[in-house]
Amino acid sequence: MTGNRAAAALVDTRHEYQHLFSIYVPIAIGVFAVIVLAIAFCVLRYRRRPVERAARWNENNRLEGAYALALAGVVVFLLYLTFTAEHRVDTVSAREKPSVIIDVVAAKWEWSFRYRSYGITRRSGTVGRQALVVPTGEAIRFNLSSVDVIHGFWIPEIRFKRDVFPGITQSVTLMFPSAGSFQAQCSEFCGLRHADMLFDVRAVTPSAFASWARSGGKATVS
Amino acid sequence: MTATATPVPAQSRVSGWLGAATSTDHKRIGLNLGLCSLAFFALGGLFALLMRSQIAQPNEHFVSDNTYNQLFTMHGSTMIYLFVTPMAIALALYLVPLQIGAASLTAPRLASTGFWVWLCGGLIMESSWLTADGAGRAGWFSYVPLSNGTNTPGVGQDLWVMGVLLAAIGMWVMGGCVVATIGRRRAPGMSLMRMPVFTWTALASMLMVLGAFPALIIVMSLLFIDRHGGHIFVGFNGEIDYQDLFWFFGHPVVYVMFFPYLGAAAEAISVNSHKRWFGYGAFVGSIMLFAALSMSVWAHHMFVTGGVTNQYFAFTSTALAVPAGIEYFDAIATMVGGSLVLRTSMLFGITFFVQFLIGGLTGIFVASPVLDYHVNSSYFVIGHFHYTLFAGSVFGFFAGVYHWFPKVTGALLRESLGKLQLAIMIVGTNMTFFPMFILGEDGMSRRISRYPTHPGWGTLNLIESIAAGIIALGVLTFLVNVFVSLRTRVPAGPDPWLGQTLEWAAPSPPPPLNFDGPLPPIRSYAPLLDLRHERHDRQSHEARQEIAS
Repeated sequence: MTGNRAAAALVDTRHEYQHLFSIYVPIAIGVFAVIVLAIAFCVLRYRRRPVERAARWNENNRLEGAYALALAGVVVFLLYLTFTAEHRVDTVSAREKPSVIIDVVAAKWEWSFRYRSYGITRRSGTVGRQALVVPTGEAIRFNLSSVDVIHGFWIPEIRFKRDVFPGITQSVTLMFPSAGSFQAQCSEFCGLRHADMLFDVRAVTPSAFASWARSGGKATVS
Repeated sequence: MTATATPVPAQSRVSGWLGAATSTDHKRIGLNLGLCSLAFFALGGLFALLMRSQIAQPNEHFVSDNTYNQLFTMHGSTMIYLFVTPMAIALALYLVPLQIGAASLTAPRLASTGFWVWLCGGLIMESSWLTADGAGRAGWFSYVPLSNGTNTPGVGQDLWVMGVLLAAIGMWVMGGCVVATIGRRRAPGMSLMRMPVFTWTALASMLMVLGAFPALIIVMSLLFIDRHGGHIFVGFNGEIDYQDLFWFFGHPVVYVMFFPYLGAAAEAISVNSHKRWFGYGAFVGSIMLFAALSMSVWAHHMFVTGGVTNQYFAFTSTALAVPAGIEYFDAIATMVGGSLVLRTSMLFGITFFVQFLIGGLTGIFVASPVLDYHVNSSYFVIGHFHYTLFAGSVFGFFAGVYHWFPKVTGALLRESLGKLQLAIMIVGTNMTFFPMFILGEDGMSRRISRYPTHPGWGTLNLIESIAAGIIALGVLTFLVNVFVSLRTRVPAGPDPWLGQTLEWAAPSPPPPLNFDGPLPPIRSYAPLLDLRHERHDRQSHEARQEIAS
């Protein structure tokens, strides 16, 4: 690959998620704080007053309408952010030219990861724990299919999952921004030993990945 | 209007258990449904405690994988099909006729039949525990192809399907009776825009039952056929069809399980603030908008399937923030300028709004596809919907119980025990469900009987499991309160709290035809408050005249 320039242009699902998260969460905390403070104020200010002092007004449609418009404004803002991020995660990433293609086949209760160009197949689940090895900073196309029920291909490290259905192959293009070893697990309940459908992801530098792939998956990856 | 021509149901000729079982009195049907729902609540809670025992630590072997799968399936199914939803209908059956000044329900025999069909459904569903291959074990939404005859064979899952089907039919029928009653039995003067807040929430809820439950009835029928060689849900499109049909029921039911409890909390807050509910017109509009919108958000459950138009459902789901925000505005503005009495019902009502908010705000979060790509099917979602259903609806339910228990039984519940229950439940609820957000964000998948020894997971799960026991203690405190209050009765009288709506004009408990005298004039949605204001104004006017003369 041509190095950092190409990598920087690739869609980073972890970044997209964290960017949205960093805006949604403060808004949520702010709204929560305002409402709790308002309720606390009411409780402290208006408790144990004589019944006769209770006010009789019960409507202010203009104020409420303005408030609803403000809420609608927040909704539009959040949707704008979400749609922008979703466009990148779903549409832009799909246009990227992958440097590695991995066929992911889910079955009760194991994952198999087939690297077609290298003739490597790795398996993880009730049969054992072979890691899914991927290069960092490159577009990787995952072709997802299942042989039996719906499973969930979820890699928490990059904040992305896609359900894996029988009868169809769906493709997603993902990028691992940093090296490391990450836990992953089936996210869609798939029967008796759902809990055992675990796998590890080993993200390594492109050169380490290349030598691992050349060895037919036999070399140990560091 | 023809209120005077309302056909009067004949007095039951049988008494005792048989009389209660065959009664056509809406209060009796509502109580039967409510009490059975409570029994199922206890059962579903027991399943939760067993689940939490298994996952208190990463690699426990308290129950087998197979048993755990049955436990979470039956916990979800029991709580949704047999507790929170039917309890919402039970509140509506009991309270709506009283609130609109009706003597009885429209089609009471049909409602009674609905109750029995629902109960049979519930018992059939739970009877699946007794089969050789165990109870239903494909999750409460039982996606195909996992739930088909190949992947989940056996009678247990069949009984689960049949149980859900019958429970849905029963609830659909009862929901229809409530809607018909609102349409046909309102007292003279009780126009739609004078109906109490709770009745409006019940109407919105029951309209959704009418609109959404047929999808569940159909999808369960088709699943049954599919399980027996029918090949209905074939291929990717078939699987997506199942999910579309299921969630077309499955999301509206979330609001069926929310509105009446919102209504209960709203009544508790306005009565204990000695003010009528603020922004009635806006509230009614927003609740109907809420109901309409929530019929069009279902596929946000399917963001990660690749089979739906994510933007559309993200739009409708996020837009729910507008009507939800109006409800909060109204709740707070009702308290402003009021005269607040912090009774147990009021405190439960306030806690409902505070805790539900965490569920609502995280709901906005999961309405964003990009965020949902990470947290879907994780413990984050479990935390989210338990904040809506338990920290929200169940607290709203208890607000309603403390508010209307004196009406139903004629006796007051103990305030001290009620506040103790509230305190225990606040601690238990937040300790159980808040760590789930952290676990889910950190990558813990739902529905797993064992989990990796990830840093922190064991500790957080242990906290949750202990706190689940604290919740159980809170529920136990409630049962003790009911027992004590019914054994040594403190008579409530017809209107212990200065109620605002017509049920407080009836004796406690109300007689078979609800009202023993003429109804007070109905000029707004708070007729009893109107009367008190008039009386107060007249007295102060007379006092002024006396001083003047």
